[in-house]
Amino acid sequence: MEFTLTKYQNYSLLEISGRIDSYTAPKIDNVLHALISENHGNILIDLEKVTYISSSGILIFVNAQKSLTRKNRGKIHFSGTSELVHSAFSLAGFTGLFEFHENTSSAMEVL
Amino acid sequence: MKVRSMITRTFPGNFKSLEPISDFIVNRAEEAGFSAKDVYAIQTAVDEACSNIIDHAYGGENKGNIEIKIQNSTGELRILLYDKGEPFDPEDIPDPDISSPLEIRKERGLGIYFMKKLMDRVIFEFSPSEGNKLTLIKFKGS
Repeated sequence: MEFTLTKYQNYSLLEISGRIDSYTAPKIDNVLHALISENHGNILIDLEKVTYISSSGILIFVNAQKSLTRKNRGKIHFSGTSELVHSAFSLAGFTGLFEFHENTSSAMEVL
Repeated sequence: MKVRSMITRTFPGNFKSLEPISDFIVNRAEEAGFSAKDVYAIQTAVDEACSNIIDHAYGGENKGNIEIKIQNSTGELRILLYDKGEPFDPEDIPDPDISSPLEIRKERGLGIYFMKKLMDRVIFEFSPSEGNKLTLIKFKGS
């Protein structure tokens, strides 16, 4: 798993590639915690190059979203989510918690 | 039902093993002729099972190995996971209530819920000499 973080004025863009599982999820969790504590507002997470996500991966996003909402600091937006990765969010019943966009360009238009 | 192949591999019980375990499972599931959706489902079930073995049966990383046997038969793919950790029955953990409000949801048990939803059979067995044995079965053409 690799990621790139870019901070814009109104939001942060986190581009992730590879697997998000019990081994790699804590690394993403650290990045999200830092962003939320720094008050960077909305977080756009590009999942286009993510090949797999486990329940532990989904839960770090759920907890980050709850934390953002509690502190009234924005929302998590996803872009480029593949059908298979989206099916895991769907199976867990968490699709309603996030905004899903087709790609980063369409997401950036609303952020 | 005719057994076409039986392959066994052993991995160290740590989270770094999850990627090579997934590669191993995905290759075998593709060889067995499953669709991309079913391959992803099998990969998820095994990944969740191994994470649970490390977290719950062993209670942490590098406490023991995970042995995986994959039996490809005419009608099914059968995956057996063995560990020597504490007895851990996934049935002891209730399913998460995915219809409850998101803010109050308790997420414990999500991995096991995934396993049960994505596989056709999930069978747990324990014996003092063999340890934990988890059997995951996916029927072909289901």
